[in-house]
Amino acid sequence: MAKVFVGMSGGVDSSVSAALLVEQGHDVTGIYMKNWSRDLPGMKCPWAEDLADAKRVAVKLGIPFEVWDFEKEYREKVVEYMLREFKAGNTPNPDIMCNEEIKFKLFYEKAMERGADFIATGHYARIIDNNLARAADENKDQTYFLYRISDEALMHTLFPIGDMLKPDVKKLAEKKGLHNAYKKESMGVCFVGEVGMKDFLKEYIDVQPGEIREISTEKVLGYHEGAVFYTIGQRHGLYISGNKGEINDGLPYYVVKKDLEKNIVYVSKNLNDSHIWTKELKLKDIILKNDTPNILVRLRHRAPLVPATLKNDTLYFESEIKRPASGQSAVFYDGEICLGGGIIC
Amino acid sequence: MIYLDHAAATPVDPRVLKAMEPYFSRDFFNPSSAYLPAKKVAADYQTAKATIAHAIGAKSSDLVITAGATEANNLAFTAATNALYLKTEHDSVRKVAKNHHGVEIAVDKYGRIDLADFRAKLADDIDLVSVSLVNNELGVIQPLAEISGIIREVKFDRLRRGVKTPLYLHSDASQALNLLDINVARLGVDLLTLNAAKIYGPKGVGALYVSHGVRLSPVTFGGGQENGLRSGTENVPGAIGFAKAVELAHEHLNGNRKKYAELKKLLLSELQGYELINKKHTLDNFIVLCYNDIDAERLIYLLEEKEVYVSTGAACAASKGQKSHVLAAIGLSDEQIAGSLRLTLGETNDEGQIHTAAKIINEVVANEYQRLQNG
Repeated sequence: MAKVFVGMSGGVDSSVSAALLVEQGHDVTGIYMKNWSRDLPGMKCPWAEDLADAKRVAVKLGIPFEVWDFEKEYREKVVEYMLREFKAGNTPNPDIMCNEEIKFKLFYEKAMERGADFIATGHYARIIDNNLARAADENKDQTYFLYRISDEALMHTLFPIGDMLKPDVKKLAEKKGLHNAYKKESMGVCFVGEVGMKDFLKEYIDVQPGEIREISTEKVLGYHEGAVFYTIGQRHGLYISGNKGEINDGLPYYVVKKDLEKNIVYVSKNLNDSHIWTKELKLKDIILKNDTPNILVRLRHRAPLVPATLKNDTLYFESEIKRPASGQSAVFYDGEICLGGGIIC
Repeated sequence: MIYLDHAAATPVDPRVLKAMEPYFSRDFFNPSSAYLPAKKVAADYQTAKATIAHAIGAKSSDLVITAGATEANNLAFTAATNALYLKTEHDSVRKVAKNHHGVEIAVDKYGRIDLADFRAKLADDIDLVSVSLVNNELGVIQPLAEISGIIREVKFDRLRRGVKTPLYLHSDASQALNLLDINVARLGVDLLTLNAAKIYGPKGVGALYVSHGVRLSPVTFGGGQENGLRSGTENVPGAIGFAKAVELAHEHLNGNRKKYAELKKLLLSELQGYELINKKHTLDNFIVLCYNDIDAERLIYLLEEKEVYVSTGAACAASKGQKSHVLAAIGLSDEQIAGSLRLTLGETNDEGQIHTAAKIINEVVANEYQRLQNG
C-alpha cells in the first residue's frame, strides 16, 4: 500500500483514476488544483463546478479531499509565459507548461512534502521502466503534453488509466456510479475555454491595427488587429475584403509569415508556398533522454508520427512537413517511449 | 374566433406545452444546485440552449437567455456608446438607443433601410448598429447581409486608418424565426435578438446571441447566471419550451411560408377597396392595408364584435394611442396611418377562416363607408 495524492479535476478520467487507486488498496488523497478562476467576458470559468464534481467523487470514494491553490504560481509560470511568448510572435502551448511547472512540479513537491510515495493524474500515458510511454489508447495519448516533466517526478507518478481505452474508462465510471453523465469533455486550453485564444489575448494585449499582405506580391489585402493574435497556418478570422475587381476564387488565405516589428501578417492562397513546407525544424529547450538517431516526431497533439533525425538542435525530416508555428513543441518517440522533445524556433 | 394578429402573440403549441410541463413539477430543481437531479435539469437547460443556438448556426455558449426580446434588446445596447438604429425599430430598441446617443437611419417607401443614409451616418465613433431583421409592423425584411457587408468594409477601413473603435451589428429577429432560415454567420450579425412568444413558444422568454469578442455589461446583477450577463435563476421551463418551439418552427419553415403565401394571396383577392401598404420585401404572413377615409381603430372594435381580431400596428404602441412611427417613416400621411390595418397570419388560420374573415372585413368596411356617407 502506498500513499498517493491524486489530482482530481472533476472529469471522468481523473475520477476513474482515483477509484482505481482506491480499489488497488492505496492510501489515496484527492486534490483539486485551483489554477485559474477568473471569468472572462462571455465565459464563466467553471472552476467551482469542476471542484464540486471532484469533491462529489471523493466523497463517494470515501477518500480525504483537499483544494490546493496554485493560482498565483499558475499566473506567473503559465499565463505570463504564454502572454510573453505570444507577444514575441510565438504560439506557445500552455498545457505543456502547466504540466511541467504546476502538476508535475508544485503539486508533486507539495505531495512529497506531505509524505506521498506517488502522485497520480488522469492522463492517458504510461510509464514503462521509468520511461514515459504512449497510452494504450492511441487516440487519447497525452504524452505530447507531458514530455517536459522531470524524471524525478516521473519516478513518483502513476497514470492509473494509461492502460485503458477511453470507452472502457467511461464504462467503468458508470459501473462505479462515478459517471458524470451531464458533464461535457473540456476542450482546448482549460482556462481559455470556448472564448478562444484571440479573445483571451485581447484581454491582455491591446489591439494594434496592421497590414495583411500577400506573401509573393506584397500586395496589401486587408488589415488585422495585431500580428500577435495570428498563428502561422491559421486560415480564419482574416479581414480580407474590399478587393473590388479581383476574382474571388473562394480559396482561403493562410497565414504564412508574421513580421512583428512592422506588425505585418503575410498570407497566401498557395498551399505549395515555400513558407508552408519544410524538411527541417530548428528547436530550442530540447529534452532528450536517450540519444537515438532515428526517431518518430509528433508536431501536434494527436498528429501522426513522422520519422526524422535529430542532429544537434535541428530535426531533419524524410519528407516535407507543414511548418508548425514557432513556440509549439516537437515531441520525440522511439516506438512507444517518449524520448523528450523541444520547442520549435 | 378568427385570429389575425400573430405578430402580436401566438398561442403556445400543445407540443411546446407538453415539453415544458415536467419542468414545472417533477424537474423543478434549481439548475445551480449541487445534487445530481439538479445537475440533470442544468444539463437539459443547456441542451435547450444548444437547440436554439444551432437553429441560428451558433453554439449554446453564445446565447444569453432573457425574459423576452425587450430585455435582449436592452442587453445588446450595453455594447454601445454611440448607436445607429433604423427609424422603424420597435420601441424596445428606440427607447434604449436614446441612452446611447442613438441616431436614426432613414428608410425608403417600402420600409427598407436607406443604405446611402446609413453610410453617411456611420461615423468613426459609432460602435453599434441596430437593424431588425423583420419589422414588426410591416413585416419588411431588411437586407442584413448587405448591411453587414458595409459594416465589414467600414471595419476594414477603420483598421486601415488605425481607428480602434469596434463596430457591432445587432438585429432583432423576433418576428422572423419561424419564417426565415436564420444563420448568424450568413447575416453577419454580432448580436441577435430572438423571441419565443412569436413562434408558438411561451411569453417572457427570449435570447440574445452574442458573438465572440462583443463586450456586454449585465443589466441585472446577482448570482452570475448566463455567463454573468443575466443573473437570476434560469427559467428552465421557458427555455425548454423555447427550444421545442424553435425545433417545430425549423421543421415547418418551408411549409409555413408556402401556406402563408397562399392564404395571403387568397385574402388579398377577396378583400375589397383597400390599398396594400407593404408591397415588397415582406414576410409572407404580414398584410398591411389602408382604407381611405376610414378610422381603422373603429374597424378593430367592429371586427371584435364578430370575433375577428386584427390590429393597427404594434400592440404596445396602439394601446398608448400613439400613431405608428413606422407608417410615418415610410411616408404615409396621418389620414393613411389612421386608416391602416395590420393583419398577420399564423398557424391558427386556414383557408375557410380566410374566406370568412374577408367576407366579414368587407362587410364591416362597407358599413363604415355607409355610415360616413350618411353622417
